Amino acid sequence: MVDSVFLALSVITIGAAIVALEVRSLIYGSIALMIALSGVAGFFLLLDAPFVAMFQLSVYVGSIAVLILFTVMLVRRELIFNKVEDKRRRYAGIGLMLALMLGIGTIIIGSGLKSMDTNSPMIDYKKIGEDFLTYYSPALIVMALILASSITGAMTLARREDVIDDQRAD
Amino acid sequence: MSTIAPQFRLSRFIASLFDLIFWVLLIFSLVGLPIVFIILFYIKLPIINGQLMTPYLSMTWMADPSRTLPIVKNFIHTTIFRVMVFPGFGFAALLAAATIFVERKFLAKIQLRVGPLYCGKIEGILQLMGDGFKLMSKEIIIPAKADKPIFWMGPLLFVGAAGAFVSLIPVAPGWVVANPNVGLLAVFAVIGFFPIIAVLTAWAANSKWTFIGGLRALHQMVAFEIPLILSLLGVVILSGSLNLSQIVESQQHFWWITFVPIGAIVFFITIFAELERIPFDLPEAESEIVAGWLTEFSGMMYGLIQLGTYLKLYAFAGLFVVLFLGGWNGPMVWPPFPQDIITNGITIGPVTAKFPGLPLFDQQMLNGTLWFVIKTVGVILLILLPRGVFPRVRMDIALHTGWYKLIGLAFINIFIALGLLYAGVLGPGGLLQ
Repeated sequence: MVDSVFLALSVITIGAAIVALEVRSLIYGSIALMIALSGVAGFFLLLDAPFVAMFQLSVYVGSIAVLILFTVMLVRRELIFNKVEDKRRRYAGIGLMLALMLGIGTIIIGSGLKSMDTNSPMIDYKKIGEDFLTYYSPALIVMALILASSITGAMTLARREDVIDDQRAD
Repeated sequence: MSTIAPQFRLSRFIASLFDLIFWVLLIFSLVGLPIVFIILFYIKLPIINGQLMTPYLSMTWMADPSRTLPIVKNFIHTTIFRVMVFPGFGFAALLAAATIFVERKFLAKIQLRVGPLYCGKIEGILQLMGDGFKLMSKEIIIPAKADKPIFWMGPLLFVGAAGAFVSLIPVAPGWVVANPNVGLLAVFAVIGFFPIIAVLTAWAANSKWTFIGGLRALHQMVAFEIPLILSLLGVVILSGSLNLSQIVESQQHFWWITFVPIGAIVFFITIFAELERIPFDLPEAESEIVAGWLTEFSGMMYGLIQLGTYLKLYAFAGLFVVLFLGGWNGPMVWPPFPQDIITNGITIGPVTAKFPGLPLFDQQMLNGTLWFVIKTVGVILLILLPRGVFPRVRMDIALHTGWYKLIGLAFINIFIALGLLYAGVLGPGGLLQ
């Protein structure tokens, strides 16, 4: 059962990723990207990590994909891309990807992680929270600072002093 | 009398129905029954309990409640029943359909109109059915330059996402379709799909009205999604769980709205924006952009979108009840099932019938459902109310409310919840359990 689901998810995810790269229409490409990201969420569900799966769905599909759709719809395609068909680049890309995959594969096989325990109990999200507040608290603080500074930066950039509109809400 | 069909008479309509029934019965007994017997002649019938299983015997067994009730009771506890009928689609669709009718009458009463009146003689009670038949019989028109696959998929995906949302709402103790450990996160994930569907279908219809409406929907939903998520974190902090059933169980003694009222208010306001209802109905502002992102939908495609919208309305009201108003908790008012019937059966004159399967539902579940439905209907009425009272707000005011004020209020709410937790008043190990 799990094996067949894993196979189906792999086919969907990799197929959608290839479609996202190859299809001409940018809208269909972004839809394929959404499907690929949802497939990754499916892998997390198979790995007994529903917490990560739900965040994968709500952050990547719900926010990042929306952002991509937004950009694609609001910007005319001709302005950002020019169609250059280059066979050599394409083959170089495929070759690079194969080389990367082979490298990662050899590292994983060489790491001794050959078998997987599938009967281990599901990790509770409360455990993740406890770990974040105790052992990994420096990492949490660093993450919080980075996020806070990026939000402050975004708000500073988005705030436009030059637009003075009498009809504004405030 | 209707102006569309002036010759219509109810008596003639009923007479024609009887006429049809007569002909169906006549043709069945003259043609259908002989065919059935010819087929039965060639089929080898099984022998069950030493009796030949003739069609008559199987019909007798079907009419015997002592044989069928256990089967029905068994069926009630299957997953398919939960998905199709009780806490799932059937229950939610029934409430959603009732909401559509109640909304029209309720708004009419607010604005001193009469609302639907003629259809069905009594207060227009059959109006909804008439509208449904009209939508089903209308032609589905696809715009010539539309992107057909996405355009077709839009309504289906919308209803699917709304159904996924409905399936996460617990109605009574143990009665929920899907009960994941991270239920609230699943709700956030499902809510994130609605703006994508809106903007994709809006783009696919290839019309400027739908595209403007879709972009507005995207802006508005993304802006209000963040205060929605933040306003619910207070409840998660206090109850210490993301599972919706556990959150309901944590409210056995007091509702969370008494401790985090600001979160409840912020969540209630974001509901309007997520549902595209007045005062935030800019994505389908009918006086500005025809019908917004729904402009090009016709027939049953529009019907599906409407169904999805009202399922979503029910699900949001249910979520509000589950998180802030104590879900199914309430005093036990449902009467217990009479013990007499279980032990002795029902005696009518000389005949005593025993029903081994009764009661079908236990008292806890019926009482919980009653309280959940009462609270949900109250919240739905509160969501419907502003449509009769408020005007539509401007886009910049809506976005300003979402991005500035509601997020600020949601953070204040989180700090209140944290204060209650660290002061030792609430939460795991607090003074009030």
